[in-house]
Amino acid sequence: MRIKKTEPVLAEVDMTPMIDIVFQLIAFFMVISNFEQTQADERVRLPEDVLALPPKVKPAHELVLNVGFLRDEKHNLPEQGPVVFHAGRFCWITQQDSPASVRIFNGRANAIQTIETVDFSYRLNQEKQLFYDRGVAVAESVTVVIRADSRVPTGLIQKLIQLAQADFTGSDGSSQPGFAKFALKAEQTAESRAFKSRGS
Amino acid sequence: MKIRNQGGVEKIEPQMAPMIDVVFLLLIFFMLTLKIVQPEGDFNINMPAVAQSQTETPKLLPDFKVRLVADGATGALLEVRYGQRSLGNGPPAFQLLQQMIRENIAGSPYADEVEVEIDADFDLNYEHVISAVSACTGQVQQGSDGQPEVVRFVEKIKFAPPRQSTRAATGG
Repeated sequence: MRIKKTEPVLAEVDMTPMIDIVFQLIAFFMVISNFEQTQADERVRLPEDVLALPPKVKPAHELVLNVGFLRDEKHNLPEQGPVVFHAGRFCWITQQDSPASVRIFNGRANAIQTIETVDFSYRLNQEKQLFYDRGVAVAESVTVVIRADSRVPTGLIQKLIQLAQADFTGSDGSSQPGFAKFALKAEQTAESRAFKSRGS
Repeated sequence: MKIRNQGGVEKIEPQMAPMIDVVFLLLIFFMLTLKIVQPEGDFNINMPAVAQSQTETPKLLPDFKVRLVADGATGALLEVRYGQRSLGNGPPAFQLLQQMIRENIAGSPYADEVEVEIDADFDLNYEHVISAVSACTGQVQQGSDGQPEVVRFVEKIKFAPPRQSTRAATGG
Protein backbone atom coordinates (compact mmCIF):
# COMPACT_ATOMS: atom_id res chain seq x y z
CA MET A 1 0.00 0.00 0.00
CA ARG A 2 1.29 3.31 -0.92
CA ILE A 3 1.15 6.09 1.64
CA LYS A 4 0.72 9.57 0.33
CA LYS A 5 3.22 11.96 1.82
CA THR A 6 1.49 15.00 3.30
CA GLU A 7 3.95 17.86 3.32
CA PRO A 8 3.01 20.72 5.61
CA VAL A 9 2.69 23.90 3.65
CA LEU A 10 3.91 26.01 6.56
CA ALA A 11 6.81 27.99 5.22
CA GLU A 12 9.43 28.67 7.87
CA VAL A 13 10.68 32.23 7.77
CA ASP A 14 14.32 32.58 8.58
CA MET A 15 14.47 34.98 11.50
CA THR A 16 18.21 35.20 11.97
CA PRO A 17 19.02 38.16 9.66
CA MET A 18 16.17 40.20 11.05
CA ILE A 19 17.26 39.62 14.60
CA ASP A 20 20.80 40.53 13.66
CA ILE A 21 19.67 43.85 12.27
CA VAL A 22 17.33 44.60 15.14
CA PHE A 23 20.12 43.97 17.63
CA GLN A 24 22.35 46.28 15.65
CA LEU A 25 19.72 48.98 15.79
CA ILE A 26 19.33 48.55 19.53
CA ALA A 27 23.05 48.80 20.04
CA PHE A 28 23.13 51.95 17.90
CA PHE A 29 20.35 53.69 19.81
CA MET A 30 21.84 52.65 23.14
CA VAL A 31 25.17 54.16 22.26
CA ILE A 32 23.75 57.30 20.75
CA SER A 33 21.30 58.19 23.51
CA ASN A 34 22.85 60.04 26.39
CA PHE A 35 21.25 60.11 29.77
CA GLU A 36 23.80 62.55 31.09
CA GLN A 37 22.23 65.86 30.30
CA THR A 38 19.29 65.30 32.55
CA GLN A 39 19.63 68.69 34.18
CA ALA A 40 19.49 70.50 30.88
CA ASP A 41 16.17 72.06 29.98
CA GLU A 42 15.18 71.90 26.34
CA ARG A 43 13.20 75.15 26.57
CA VAL A 44 16.46 77.06 26.82
CA ARG A 45 17.86 78.11 23.48
CA LEU A 46 21.52 78.54 24.07
CA PRO A 47 23.54 81.06 22.11
CA GLU A 48 25.86 79.53 19.55
CA ASP A 49 29.56 80.04 19.48
CA VAL A 50 32.53 78.62 17.60
CA LEU A 51 34.75 78.49 20.66
CA ALA A 52 32.28 76.64 22.85
CA LEU A 53 34.33 73.56 23.56
CA PRO A 54 33.30 70.84 25.96
CA PRO A 55 35.32 70.94 29.17
CA LYS A 56 38.39 68.73 29.21
CA VAL A 57 37.88 67.86 32.84
CA LYS A 58 34.35 67.44 34.04
CA PRO A 59 33.87 69.39 37.28
CA ALA A 60 33.46 67.24 40.34
CA HIS A 61 30.24 68.90 41.41
CA GLU A 62 27.99 71.09 39.38
CA LEU A 63 24.75 72.94 39.83
CA VAL A 64 22.91 73.65 36.61
CA LEU A 65 20.73 76.75 36.41
CA ASN A 66 18.49 76.95 33.36
CA VAL A 67 17.32 80.46 32.51
CA GLY A 68 14.90 80.72 29.63
CA PHE A 69 11.51 81.77 28.39
CA LEU A 70 8.16 80.06 28.41
CA ARG A 71 7.60 80.60 24.71
CA ASP A 72 4.21 80.10 23.10
CA GLU A 73 3.55 77.87 20.09
CA LYS A 74 4.82 80.48 17.67
CA HIS A 75 8.02 80.86 19.66
CA ASN A 76 7.23 84.42 20.65
CA LEU A 77 8.76 85.75 23.80
CA PRO A 78 6.32 85.95 26.70
CA GLU A 79 5.52 89.26 28.34
CA GLN A 80 6.51 88.05 31.76
CA GLY A 81 10.16 87.84 30.89
CA PRO A 82 12.66 85.12 31.57
CA VAL A 83 12.36 82.52 34.29
CA VAL A 84 14.69 80.13 36.04
CA PHE A 85 13.60 76.53 35.59
CA HIS A 86 14.32 75.15 39.01
CA ALA A 87 13.13 71.90 40.55
CA GLY A 88 10.11 71.69 38.28
CA ARG A 89 9.06 75.25 38.96
CA PHE A 90 9.35 78.54 37.15
CA CYS A 91 11.08 81.16 39.21
CA TRP A 92 10.69 84.74 38.10
CA ILE A 93 13.63 87.04 38.49
CA THR A 94 12.24 90.49 39.00
CA GLN A 95 14.05 93.41 37.50
CA GLN A 96 13.88 95.50 40.62
CA ASP A 97 17.10 96.39 42.28
CA SER A 98 16.56 94.24 45.33
CA PRO A 99 18.68 91.31 44.26
CA ALA A 100 16.76 88.72 46.24
CA SER A 101 13.19 89.17 45.09
CA VAL A 102 11.99 86.33 42.95
CA ARG A 103 8.42 85.26 42.65
CA ILE A 104 7.67 81.60 42.19
CA PHE A 105 4.63 80.49 40.27
CA ASN A 106 2.99 77.13 40.42
CA GLY A 107 1.22 75.17 37.76
CA ARG A 108 1.16 75.42 34.03
CA ALA A 109 2.84 78.12 32.05
CA ASN A 110 -0.34 79.45 30.50
CA ALA A 111 -2.23 79.64 33.75
CA ILE A 112 0.14 81.59 35.87
CA GLN A 113 -1.03 82.74 39.24
CA THR A 114 1.02 84.15 41.98
CA ILE A 115 0.88 81.59 44.71
CA GLU A 116 3.88 82.35 46.79
CA THR A 117 6.75 84.72 46.83
CA VAL A 118 10.06 83.17 47.65
CA ASP A 119 13.50 84.58 47.27
CA PHE A 120 15.49 82.70 44.71
CA SER A 121 18.42 83.37 47.02
CA TYR A 122 16.59 81.20 49.55
CA ARG A 123 16.51 78.34 47.07
CA LEU A 124 20.13 78.89 46.10
CA ASN A 125 21.08 78.88 49.77
CA GLN A 126 19.32 75.56 50.13
CA GLU A 127 21.44 74.21 47.29
CA LYS A 128 24.57 75.56 48.97
CA GLN A 129 23.58 73.96 52.26
CA LEU A 130 22.95 70.65 50.52
CA PHE A 131 26.46 70.69 49.08
CA TYR A 132 27.89 71.76 52.43
CA ASP A 133 26.10 69.01 54.32
CA ARG A 134 27.54 66.44 51.94
CA GLY A 135 31.00 67.68 52.85
CA VAL A 136 31.66 69.47 49.56
CA ALA A 137 33.63 72.70 49.64
CA VAL A 138 31.12 75.04 48.03
CA ALA A 139 33.44 77.81 46.92
CA GLU A 140 36.27 75.61 45.71
CA SER A 141 34.80 72.58 44.06
CA VAL A 142 31.28 73.37 42.88
CA THR A 143 30.78 74.83 39.44
CA VAL A 144 27.56 76.67 38.73
CA VAL A 145 26.68 75.93 35.12
CA ILE A 146 24.53 78.68 33.69
CA ARG A 147 22.46 77.64 30.70
CA ALA A 148 20.84 80.87 29.64
CA ASP A 149 18.70 81.64 26.63
CA SER A 150 20.29 83.90 24.06
CA ARG A 151 17.61 86.55 24.60
CA VAL A 152 17.84 86.82 28.38
CA PRO A 153 18.92 90.28 29.58
CA THR A 154 22.50 90.14 30.77
CA GLY A 155 21.74 91.98 33.99
CA LEU A 156 19.57 89.12 35.19
CA ILE A 157 22.40 86.66 34.68
CA GLN A 158 24.67 88.97 36.65
CA LYS A 159 22.12 89.15 39.44
CA LEU A 160 21.85 85.39 39.42
CA ILE A 161 25.63 85.21 39.77
CA GLN A 162 25.48 87.66 42.66
CA LEU A 163 22.87 85.55 44.41
CA ALA A 164 25.01 82.47 43.91
CA GLN A 165 28.09 84.23 45.27
CA ALA A 166 26.42 85.31 48.49
CA ASP A 167 27.56 83.83 51.77
CA PHE A 168 25.34 81.31 53.43
CA THR A 169 24.94 79.77 56.86
CA GLY A 170 25.83 76.13 57.09
CA SER A 171 23.88 73.63 59.15
CA ASP A 172 26.44 74.03 61.93
CA GLY A 173 25.74 77.75 62.11
CA SER A 174 28.98 78.91 60.56
CA SER A 175 29.06 81.44 57.75
CA GLN A 176 30.47 80.04 54.53
CA PRO A 177 31.36 81.67 51.21
CA GLY A 178 29.03 80.92 48.31
CA PHE A 179 29.77 79.64 44.83
CA ALA A 180 32.81 81.08 43.09
CA LYS A 181 33.16 79.09 39.89
CA PHE A 182 30.81 79.64 37.04
CA ALA A 183 30.55 78.25 33.55
CA LEU A 184 28.50 79.82 30.78
CA LYS A 185 27.10 77.27 28.38
CA ALA A 186 26.90 77.83 24.66
CA GLU A 187 25.98 75.54 21.83
CA GLN A 188 28.69 74.37 19.50
CA THR A 189 28.51 75.32 15.89
CA ALA A 190 29.04 72.74 13.19
CA GLU A 191 32.56 73.93 12.52
CA SER A 192 33.68 73.97 16.13
CA ARG A 193 33.59 70.21 16.40
CA ALA A 194 36.66 69.84 14.24
CA PHE A 195 38.92 71.92 16.45
CA LYS A 196 41.49 70.83 18.85
CA SER A 197 42.64 73.14 21.55
CA ARG A 198 46.19 74.33 21.82
CA GLY A 199 47.83 75.53 24.98
CA SER A 200 46.20 75.78 28.34
CA MET B 1 -0.10 -0.84 9.04
CA LYS B 2 2.49 0.86 11.09
CA ILE B 3 4.20 3.79 9.53
CA ARG B 4 7.68 4.28 10.72
CA ASN B 5 8.94 7.62 11.59
CA GLN B 6 11.20 8.37 8.73
CA GLY B 7 12.55 11.69 9.83
CA GLY B 8 14.83 10.29 12.45
CA VAL B 9 16.37 13.33 14.18
CA GLU B 10 13.85 16.00 15.12
CA LYS B 11 15.20 19.53 15.09
CA ILE B 12 14.24 21.52 18.17
CA GLU B 13 13.19 25.02 17.22
CA PRO B 14 13.65 27.59 19.99
CA GLN B 15 10.71 29.89 20.50
CA MET B 16 11.69 33.08 18.75
CA ALA B 17 8.47 35.04 19.11
CA PRO B 18 8.84 36.21 22.76
CA MET B 19 12.40 37.26 22.24
CA ILE B 20 11.52 39.26 19.17
CA ASP B 21 8.69 40.92 21.11
CA VAL B 22 11.05 42.02 23.83
CA VAL B 23 13.71 43.09 21.40
CA PHE B 24 11.25 45.22 19.48
CA LEU B 25 10.08 46.80 22.72
CA LEU B 26 13.66 47.66 23.61
CA LEU B 27 14.20 49.07 20.15
CA ILE B 28 11.13 51.28 20.41
CA PHE B 29 12.15 52.43 23.89
CA PHE B 30 15.57 53.53 22.75
CA MET B 31 14.17 55.17 19.64
CA LEU B 32 11.69 57.20 21.66
CA THR B 33 14.14 58.24 24.34
CA LEU B 34 16.60 59.41 21.72
CA LYS B 35 16.98 63.14 21.98
CA ILE B 36 19.17 64.80 19.44
CA VAL B 37 21.09 67.39 21.39
CA GLN B 38 23.64 69.71 19.95
CA PRO B 39 26.86 69.28 21.84
CA GLU B 40 27.45 72.05 24.31
CA GLY B 41 30.61 73.75 25.41
CA ASP B 42 31.26 76.21 28.13
CA PHE B 43 33.26 79.28 29.08
CA ASN B 44 34.62 79.29 32.58
CA ILE B 45 34.52 82.45 34.61
CA ASN B 46 35.92 82.76 38.06
CA MET B 47 34.03 85.15 40.26
CA PRO B 48 34.68 84.87 43.97
CA ALA B 49 32.58 87.08 46.20
CA VAL B 50 33.63 90.72 46.47
CA ALA B 51 35.09 90.45 49.97
CA GLN B 52 37.75 88.04 48.81
CA SER B 53 38.83 89.92 45.72
CA GLN B 54 39.67 93.03 47.75
CA THR B 55 42.47 91.25 49.54
CA GLU B 56 44.17 90.27 46.29
CA THR B 57 47.66 91.41 45.57
CA PRO B 58 47.89 94.40 43.23
CA LYS B 59 47.91 93.36 39.62
CA LEU B 60 50.84 93.70 37.29
CA LEU B 61 48.65 94.63 34.38
CA PRO B 62 45.42 96.57 34.52
CA ASP B 63 42.24 94.79 33.53
CA PHE B 64 41.10 95.02 29.96
CA LYS B 65 37.71 96.64 29.99
CA VAL B 66 35.09 95.70 27.45
CA ARG B 67 31.93 97.75 27.49
CA LEU B 68 28.80 96.56 25.70
CA VAL B 69 26.13 99.18 25.11
CA ALA B 70 22.61 97.94 24.45
CA ASP B 71 19.42 99.33 23.06
CA GLY B 72 17.20 99.51 26.13
CA ALA B 73 14.00 98.43 24.40
CA THR B 74 15.10 95.42 22.37
CA GLY B 75 18.36 94.41 23.98
CA ALA B 76 20.16 94.69 20.66
CA LEU B 77 23.82 95.55 20.67
CA LEU B 78 24.57 99.19 19.87
CA GLU B 79 28.24 99.50 20.52
CA VAL B 80 31.27 97.58 21.68
CA ARG B 81 33.89 99.64 23.46
CA TYR B 82 37.34 98.40 24.33
CA GLY B 83 38.97 100.73 26.82
CA GLN B 84 38.16 104.13 25.41
CA ARG B 85 37.86 103.02 21.81
CA SER B 86 34.59 102.34 20.08
CA LEU B 87 34.58 99.26 17.87
CA GLY B 88 31.12 99.57 16.34
CA ASN B 89 28.64 96.73 16.60
CA GLY B 90 27.82 93.39 15.04
CA PRO B 91 30.21 90.54 14.26
CA PRO B 92 32.96 92.84 12.84
CA ALA B 93 33.22 94.57 16.21
CA PHE B 94 33.89 91.27 17.95
CA GLN B 95 36.51 90.38 15.35
CA LEU B 96 38.17 93.72 15.97
CA LEU B 97 38.02 93.11 19.72
CA GLN B 98 39.61 89.70 19.24
CA GLN B 99 42.39 91.24 17.17
CA MET B 100 43.08 94.00 19.72
CA ILE B 101 43.16 91.59 22.66
CA ARG B 102 45.53 89.43 20.70
CA GLU B 103 47.85 92.36 20.00
CA ASN B 104 47.74 93.50 23.61
CA ILE B 105 48.77 90.20 25.10
CA ALA B 106 51.20 89.18 22.36
CA GLY B 107 54.68 88.75 23.81
CA SER B 108 53.61 89.90 27.23
CA PRO B 109 55.14 87.79 30.00
CA TYR B 110 52.10 88.49 32.14
CA ALA B 111 49.57 87.22 29.63
CA ASP B 112 48.35 84.64 32.11
CA GLU B 113 47.63 87.33 34.68
CA VAL B 114 45.47 89.49 32.48
CA GLU B 115 41.81 89.73 33.32
CA VAL B 116 39.06 90.99 31.09
CA GLU B 117 36.20 92.80 32.72
CA ILE B 118 32.97 92.78 30.76
CA ASP B 119 30.67 95.65 31.54
CA ALA B 120 27.34 95.15 29.81
CA ASP B 121 24.09 97.05 29.93
CA PHE B 122 21.35 95.38 31.89
CA ASP B 123 19.05 94.78 28.93
CA LEU B 124 21.68 93.45 26.55
CA ASN B 125 20.79 90.11 25.04
CA TYR B 126 22.88 87.39 26.57
CA GLU B 127 24.15 86.08 23.22
CA HIS B 128 26.30 89.19 22.77
CA VAL B 129 27.96 88.55 26.11
CA ILE B 130 28.84 85.06 24.92
CA SER B 131 30.29 86.56 21.73
CA ALA B 132 32.37 89.01 23.77
CA VAL B 133 33.59 86.31 26.12
CA SER B 134 34.45 84.16 23.13
CA ALA B 135 36.35 87.00 21.44
CA CYS B 136 38.41 87.51 24.61
CA THR B 137 39.17 83.87 25.31
CA GLY B 138 40.59 82.82 22.01
CA GLN B 139 40.63 82.55 18.29
CA VAL B 140 40.40 79.86 15.67
CA GLN B 141 43.22 79.74 13.20
CA GLN B 142 44.99 77.40 10.85
CA GLY B 143 47.40 75.21 12.73
CA SER B 144 50.78 74.04 11.50
CA ASP B 145 49.26 70.85 10.14
CA GLY B 146 46.59 72.73 8.23
CA GLN B 147 43.88 71.80 10.67
CA PRO B 148 41.95 74.57 12.37
CA GLU B 149 42.83 74.90 16.02
CA VAL B 150 42.09 77.17 18.93
CA VAL B 151 44.59 79.64 20.32
CA ARG B 152 43.82 80.88 23.80
CA PHE B 153 44.22 84.54 24.78
CA VAL B 154 42.77 85.35 28.16
CA GLU B 155 41.49 82.77 30.57
CA LYS B 156 40.23 85.07 33.29
CA ILE B 157 36.94 86.70 32.56
CA LYS B 158 34.84 88.59 35.03
CA PHE B 159 31.78 90.77 35.01
CA ALA B 160 31.49 94.33 36.24
CA PRO B 161 28.70 94.92 38.74
CA PRO B 162 25.31 94.90 36.98
CA ARG B 163 23.90 98.17 35.72
CA GLN B 164 20.41 99.51 36.18
CA SER B 165 17.74 98.49 33.75
CA THR B 166 16.38 101.28 31.61
CA ARG B 167 13.25 99.28 30.89
CA ALA B 168 11.89 99.53 34.41
CA ALA B 169 12.27 103.29 34.37
CA THR B 170 10.25 103.65 31.17
CA GLY B 171 7.58 101.27 32.38
CA GLY B 172 8.29 98.67 29.70
